[in-house]
Amino acid sequence: MDPKKLKFADTHEWAFAQGDIVIVGISDYAVHELHEITYVELPSVGDPTVQAEPFGEVESVKTVAELNAPCDGEIVEINEAVGDDPDILAADPYGDGWLIKIQSSDVDQLVDLMSWEQYKLYIEEEAEEEEDEEEEDEDDLDEA
Amino acid sequence: MTLRKTPLHDLHQRLGATLVDFAGWRMPVRYPAGIIAEHIAVRTNAGLFDISHMGRLAFAGPDARSFLRHVLTNDAGRLKLGQAHYTLMADEAGRALDDAFLYRTKAEEYILVVNAANTEKDLKHIETAAAGFRNVRIRNITGELAILALSGPLARRIVEGLLEDAGALPARSNRLTRLTVGGIDVVVATTGYTGEPNSFEIFLATADAQAAWQMLIEAGASPCGLGARDTLRLEAGLPLFGHEYGRAPDGSFIPVLANRAATHAVDLSCGRTGFIGRSALIAQRDAAAGREQPRQLIQPLAVMGRSAGRTGDRVLSLKGRAVGWVTSGTVVPYEGNRTRTPLHRKEAPLRAAALALVDADVGPLDRVVIESRRRRLDAWVVPFHLRREGTRTRAVVYRMNKKLGGADALYCEY
Repeated sequence: MDPKKLKFADTHEWAFAQGDIVIVGISDYAVHELHEITYVELPSVGDPTVQAEPFGEVESVKTVAELNAPCDGEIVEINEAVGDDPDILAADPYGDGWLIKIQSSDVDQLVDLMSWEQYKLYIEEEAEEEEDEEEEDEDDLDEA
Repeated sequence: MTLRKTPLHDLHQRLGATLVDFAGWRMPVRYPAGIIAEHIAVRTNAGLFDISHMGRLAFAGPDARSFLRHVLTNDAGRLKLGQAHYTLMADEAGRALDDAFLYRTKAEEYILVVNAANTEKDLKHIETAAAGFRNVRIRNITGELAILALSGPLARRIVEGLLEDAGALPARSNRLTRLTVGGIDVVVATTGYTGEPNSFEIFLATADAQAAWQMLIEAGASPCGLGARDTLRLEAGLPLFGHEYGRAPDGSFIPVLANRAATHAVDLSCGRTGFIGRSALIAQRDAAAGREQPRQLIQPLAVMGRSAGRTGDRVLSLKGRAVGWVTSGTVVPYEGNRTRTPLHRKEAPLRAAALALVDADVGPLDRVVIESRRRRLDAWVVPFHLRREGTRTRAVVYRMNKKLGGADALYCEY
């Protein structure tokens, strides 16, 4: 899928609406930041979802990250292939690495999410904040 | 707070390491190869870690020995020049304040290597405890020396290749000696935190740290970060302060003697009197032996599936009784049969391993359930995840025979 056509949450999930079915995955950036994903825990078909509430987890060797739903609704399909082989997620986060499909009760909720351009700026800011922290450290060292 | 940097910080950056804040230090958690590859490098070849963040306290003077016998649980009096041992520092209530390694570097000089996060707290406790000892000088020398840790089956060959006299390297573990490695003056100790029989901790001047690092990498060691250091120690069943020592998830203090490693670090023999925490630790030992309180032990768990649960997860018996807590959990790679990868990883199979504080009537080889937030994980209390075989180690992998079910479904690949 073309990431430019997706909507992004500040917790790095992407969403794509086809009618009232919303496909959900996590961004390339999230995959890169998590590094070495070892386990993806997905909900069951029929489970309810609530916007911005966790529906599953991604584990890497050193971290656990919650997966948050982009909208209210009900799980209608999960990507079992990713559950069996998290490498699929790392290889193609916007395609074969999709995670769940939600039957949305309110597709309009997706307007709360960012566009691709907004999301790109958002992750650049996140990266800059980290760099700023580094620079501050160096200033402090100079003073010391 | 200003983050401290080790003398190798810029080198880590150039190597593309992911740097994180760790106990007030900017430290590499992994290099581009990744934690899995770094872990395997240590088990099959040799890995090199920058552990210059570890706290170092120096004790010198005629009273150094008697003071260390007072403030530490192991018997510093038994250390000969050039020897080292694992020790704990306890308070009067018998609670672990830190676990540490003590090195005797001169007749009247010792270096205690402590956990980075505890250094200041330890120093305060030590200075208070030193009130009655006049002839001991205590200095925080963290930052005055760098420490490199080299571990793995090829580690000895790598160091020996850089020595003029290869025979000068101690053969036994827990020894230290002054050597010139590739023209650099160092102290090499045969200690480590990976479970590898061939482990060396190299103390050297900060100005020499980069050159020594590069020399060891060129000689075949792989750079490894704190991420792999944690998966390696967990696989080897080695305790980490804050997980296996300190407070349990319910807020109570984990009995020091619940750790197998602590039994070598606490000397309760009758001749060994007068150290802080002794009477409380004796009471702890006797109460457990007399069944006045449920004895708890830190035990390795083999967890089925791809998730090991995490610190604070409840451990239940098969009947649903709460029997303990997970204190550490992670997935650990191992060098498996490449034709048969039981889990998804192509480069190395993975297994889930945990350490847990469990009642002593559970296990070994009892089946338990880990209650993780979203799911229940099948697990067994096991004796170990790793065995020593001569100069190297071998993974012991446990699996579940799903056809059998029940408590007898565990089998072991070794």
